[in-house]
Amino acid sequence: MFFNSIAFAIFLPIVFFLYWFVFNKNKSTQNALLIVASYYFYSCWDWRFLFLLVFSTFLDYYTGIQIEKGKSQKSRKFWFWLSITVNLGFLGVFKYYNFFASSFAELLTSAGFKASPLLLNVILPVGISFYTFHGLSYVIDIYFKRIKAEYNFVDYSLFVSYFPLLVAGPIERATHLLPQVKVKREFDFQTAKEGVYQIIWGLVKKVIIADTCAPYANAIFDNYTSMNSFSLILGAIYFAFQIYGDFSGYSDIALGVSKLFGLDLLRNFNYPYFSRDIAEFWRRWHISLSSWFRDYLYIPLGGSKGGLWMKIRNTFIIFVVSGFWHGANWTYIAWGFINAVYFLPLLLSNSNRNNMDTIQLKFNFDSIKVFASILYTFVLTCIAWVFFRARTITDAVSYLKRILTSKDFGFQYLDNERYSYELLLMIGIFVLIEWNNRTKVEPLSGKMSMLKTALAILAIMAFGTFSDYKEFIYFQF
Amino acid sequence: MKRFLIYTAKIVLITVLIAFLLDGIYTYAFMQSNERGKIEQVFNSKAKKYDVVILGSSRANNHFVAQMFEDKGLKTFNYGMSGGHLFEASLMLKLMIERKYEIKNVILEADLNLSNDHQAEGISARFLPYIHNSEIIKDHFSNESDFNELYYVPFYRYIKYDSKIGFREFFFISVGKKTNAQDNLGYYPLQKHKNGNMKNNIVNLTPLNRNKYYEEIKNICKEHHINFIPVMTPICENTVGMNYFDKVKKIYPEIHNYENVVVEDKYFSSCGHMSDAGAKIFTARILRDFFTKK
Repeated sequence: MFFNSIAFAIFLPIVFFLYWFVFNKNKSTQNALLIVASYYFYSCWDWRFLFLLVFSTFLDYYTGIQIEKGKSQKSRKFWFWLSITVNLGFLGVFKYYNFFASSFAELLTSAGFKASPLLLNVILPVGISFYTFHGLSYVIDIYFKRIKAEYNFVDYSLFVSYFPLLVAGPIERATHLLPQVKVKREFDFQTAKEGVYQIIWGLVKKVIIADTCAPYANAIFDNYTSMNSFSLILGAIYFAFQIYGDFSGYSDIALGVSKLFGLDLLRNFNYPYFSRDIAEFWRRWHISLSSWFRDYLYIPLGGSKGGLWMKIRNTFIIFVVSGFWHGANWTYIAWGFINAVYFLPLLLSNSNRNNMDTIQLKFNFDSIKVFASILYTFVLTCIAWVFFRARTITDAVSYLKRILTSKDFGFQYLDNERYSYELLLMIGIFVLIEWNNRTKVEPLSGKMSMLKTALAILAIMAFGTFSDYKEFIYFQF
Repeated sequence: MKRFLIYTAKIVLITVLIAFLLDGIYTYAFMQSNERGKIEQVFNSKAKKYDVVILGSSRANNHFVAQMFEDKGLKTFNYGMSGGHLFEASLMLKLMIERKYEIKNVILEADLNLSNDHQAEGISARFLPYIHNSEIIKDHFSNESDFNELYYVPFYRYIKYDSKIGFREFFFISVGKKTNAQDNLGYYPLQKHKNGNMKNNIVNLTPLNRNKYYEEIKNICKEHHINFIPVMTPICENTVGMNYFDKVKKIYPEIHNYENVVVEDKYFSSCGHMSDAGAKIFTARILRDFFTKK
């Protein structure tokens, strides 16, 4: 059940009605309903993996309590590592086993040995990377005594399985979400209205931007050997907007839906393509994952403390692991590595926290500099996206090489029977709308909100892509 | 909560109004269009007279050179539609009859398309803008599983088939952009490709015992005194499962088998589609067999 499907349009009002009118006695009934709804939502993909979700929930719930109750450090450590090992073990088997097995076999083959790896014929349970990280952060926080263990299984289950964030995040923290599910939610008109705005704007991003860019980006990337420089550049830009529209659109809908139930989720995107450097980009893109890696990997590794080499090592580890989190493919690792390389000069010059303020443009030289730095950062990001999108690293390198060598900047007719330049106006308008509203969560609230909402609905219906139905990209992660 | 429910009701109302508005605007545009495709052309036309009308899929569209019929003094148009099935061919003929066309002969390409009686959504979608303006189209779709949504939910059909009849098509109609669908009297010539795929496997295809839409076309022709000429058209010789054509002949003895009239690869653009040169040889043979006074 996708957020942009008819099924969800039926599911959501039913759950909303039951939540506020039938199960609104206390927080327990509210939570129980949301859990049932969440499990139903998840089972719409594949009910067989529901057991994995329930098991993972129970494991972290139980180990969390055992860690807290543990009288000796040895026992605490035991339960802690049990949880970490099982959680990462599931992730490893379902997501990474085939990658490691085939990469190892390739390595042996290249060394002259004959190897035929035993590969698993399993599909990746949707959302496993997200709910595993929910559980991990919870257990780690208990182990380091940052939070208390949750003894109410229903409340804890809701923290892990809450349907708006279950399959593609944002990756929540126990410190943020658990306190909210422990109290009865009261309906608030303004919050719910904000939620509606966010849902509608999320749909704009998904069906107008992401799904419209997707066939163009696919046509260009899949046939890059016959594309000219201009088309290849457009392909990278289209993919940049596809993935942004897709993932941030999903996050907006998730946050909006959650607001309808009175629960506030972590913001996941903050206009990342208006970043002035890569460090700022990573403070604005997939914020919940970046901060997760910062808190649970970068800082425990020593963070920016220690010597220069330590800083560099930690930076590369966090970016490469972040890339690998996205999928078991060398292209994701390369994408993470490239971002680390981008980040390195900022780290070495101690300027990675330079652009913390809100962007202001005026008619002066500084504004030109800001504009240029935004453009430069976007170009760097697009280059990295080529690695993210390409099938192999070789394809990505050839793609970029062809941009430089083709030197043909004419318009091309693509495999999808469209001209390569067709989306530029639409993307331009989208960027302008986001730019003018960059200080807000979404552009629909504020003055003339009803008119803006009506225009957004009109745009979704008229300009949206529905027939080339697309899944959300991040569901595969 | 009451305020929110009112607010939500407003949003729903706005959505419905926008759907009606867009539906009206798009439908109006499609009602004015007759230079984008064959369906629009037929729908927005009246009482044409033809000696020969050609119907079928791409294997009609790319195989019957309409100009060669014209050269013989036969007013002809090739209404074959690439990707189309007999579902659409039948509807096209019904539309022509509804528009009081006078047709002497219908040549129907009936071979591979006999294996199913489903709609080809990519093509059938192009009839949908007119669903409220033609009883024939409405009736033709009435047995489809999503008929109620397509007919009763405003703008749903334009959303569902946005790549065919969505904003892009609406925009091109509005700016008067033409397509080449009606060039060469509907015939679309193919060129010989160096790397054209000259292999095909039709082993899994089985002609339906009684194809509903084939029978419909046959009956319409009979009812309106139109000479019905069903033919099987050539396919490349590397095709696996060639006995399909014998099976067709067995079930439908009235269909003329021209599958082996052109066989050499040099006359094919791809295995299922002849090049212009092949199409000319084939058309000449059809003209000789059916339109030469003996």
